Amino acid sequence: MSKIMTVDVLSSIKGAQPSEAVNKLFDVIKNAQPTNNNSFNDNHNNGVSLNDLRDDVVIESSAIEKQIIIENFPKSKNGYLVVSKVIEE
Amino acid sequence: MDSQIKQLHQQLVNKDISCTTLIQERLDALKTNTNNTVNSLLDTLALELAAKVDAKIANGETIGLLEGIPFGIKDVYMVQGTYTTASSDLLKNYKSAYTATAIQKLLDAGAIPLVKENCDSFGHGSSSENTIFGAVKNAINPDLVGGGSSGGSAVNVAKDYTVFSIGGDTGGSVRQPAGYNNVYGLKPTYGRISRFGLMAYASSTDCVGPIAKSVEDIRIVLNVMSGKDGKDQTTYASTEISEENISNSRDIKTIGYFKNFIESEAIDPKIKDDFLATIEKIKAKGIEVKELDFFKSDILVSTYYTLAMAETASNLSRLDGSNYGNRIEDKNLKESYAVTRSENFSEETKRRIVGGNQVLSQGFSDEIYLKGLALRDSISANFENDFKEVDIILSPVTPSTPPKIGDSLKDPHAMYLSDAYTVGFSLGQLPTLTAPQGTETGLQITAAKNNDELVLKFANFLKDTL
Repeated sequence: MSKIMTVDVLSSIKGAQPSEAVNKLFDVIKNAQPTNNNSFNDNHNNGVSLNDLRDDVVIESSAIEKQIIIENFPKSKNGYLVVSKVIEE
Repeated sequence: MDSQIKQLHQQLVNKDISCTTLIQERLDALKTNTNNTVNSLLDTLALELAAKVDAKIANGETIGLLEGIPFGIKDVYMVQGTYTTASSDLLKNYKSAYTATAIQKLLDAGAIPLVKENCDSFGHGSSSENTIFGAVKNAINPDLVGGGSSGGSAVNVAKDYTVFSIGGDTGGSVRQPAGYNNVYGLKPTYGRISRFGLMAYASSTDCVGPIAKSVEDIRIVLNVMSGKDGKDQTTYASTEISEENISNSRDIKTIGYFKNFIESEAIDPKIKDDFLATIEKIKAKGIEVKELDFFKSDILVSTYYTLAMAETASNLSRLDGSNYGNRIEDKNLKESYAVTRSENFSEETKRRIVGGNQVLSQGFSDEIYLKGLALRDSISANFENDFKEVDIILSPVTPSTPPKIGDSLKDPHAMYLSDAYTVGFSLGQLPTLTAPQGTETGLQITAAKNNDELVLKFANFLKDTL
């Protein structure tokens, strides 16, 4: 995995380049000093506790939900999603 | 202003107005409005629901407080069977397969959705100009921006097209347009309202936020939408906020404000003077006011955007035209992804996705992304210390007044800096309300995490004081 990927490849956006406006924001971060170097403390722990996980059960989608999901397919055949070609690299 | 919800409820119960008439009038106003607030009208659904409310009243049945009350929905919320475009080319024909929890709770309470509202595409912007439906025009002066990203929602409330609207606030997207259009807009504590069915922009700060013309209407709508939801594991159980509990402010003894916000060179002199005059009026009521130290505005803005861009790069990676959206075919799947995303995202969205991928990439992640996370923790710790000293933090909503339509698009960096006063509270996941008083773009009232009640209480105090 030593291959270097450019931001346009990483972002799947053709010809994309880093912007000056955004780089200015990053420069501020590079020069800023956090008062606390532990980035994994409890301040932002919004996750659910292990004792409170929801049941691991399959919930069947309603008929209308399934119908709308299929309607949203950009291209479909016999109710299946069609894509152009599978990547083989 | 008193509660419009209660006033309309009484008119419906007294049969002074029929629900169908009420809904039809609001739909007509939305249809002919020239502020570009509408992405799609939900007229058929709204009129069907109105007829049911009228039938209930005619049968002598009791109706709930929200039953028959017209509201608007920012076009980033799923409502089953309606178009949910995020104001983007990519999703301009996308239909929601399911309904967002927050919206479902309002529907269950009988509120009637009228409109999917114009906004910055995927919430990316502070002006509601980054949209395929035309820039939202300010309710007070149509030459100015409506504010963003929930601009259509704020303008609809300000112009009385909707009684309340549901926006979404990530870095200030409810509070800033509320300030620009002189209405109330709340970002509740992160996790108080389920995000299930809200299109994800930056998941660690996205919040569902009500916009209305009175504190009481904000309270009513907040109570209905709040609660733990198994479909959003970041939600928590909260207690209902009663009207009685927010009606007097006797227990608010001390407030604070960040002196660097006010001493900044970037603040409009009129906003500064008005803010300081407000502080004096509060002191005159016997409340102690403390000056607080805080991070520089440019650090707040940079920390917020670094983390928000990283999260949006990840969240929007699912939008490639394969299973929904406007797919553009190319020679293979990978090229189809790239062309689809290049052609269908706005310039602002692409700028943020690329920025996000930059900070998440090897070589940058330690220097910028991880440091951004550490800064966020420092900011949060700072707030925790502040709220040991003061009950409420008061600040202007924005450093300056709304720009003219077109100006923000020319200078994205200036647009990012215009969020200087709102983004810090988002990073702290704190409850924050815009009150349309005190400065031209309002005042921001913030309390400690989970203390939304105190925010509304202080808003009532300001209403009676200023």
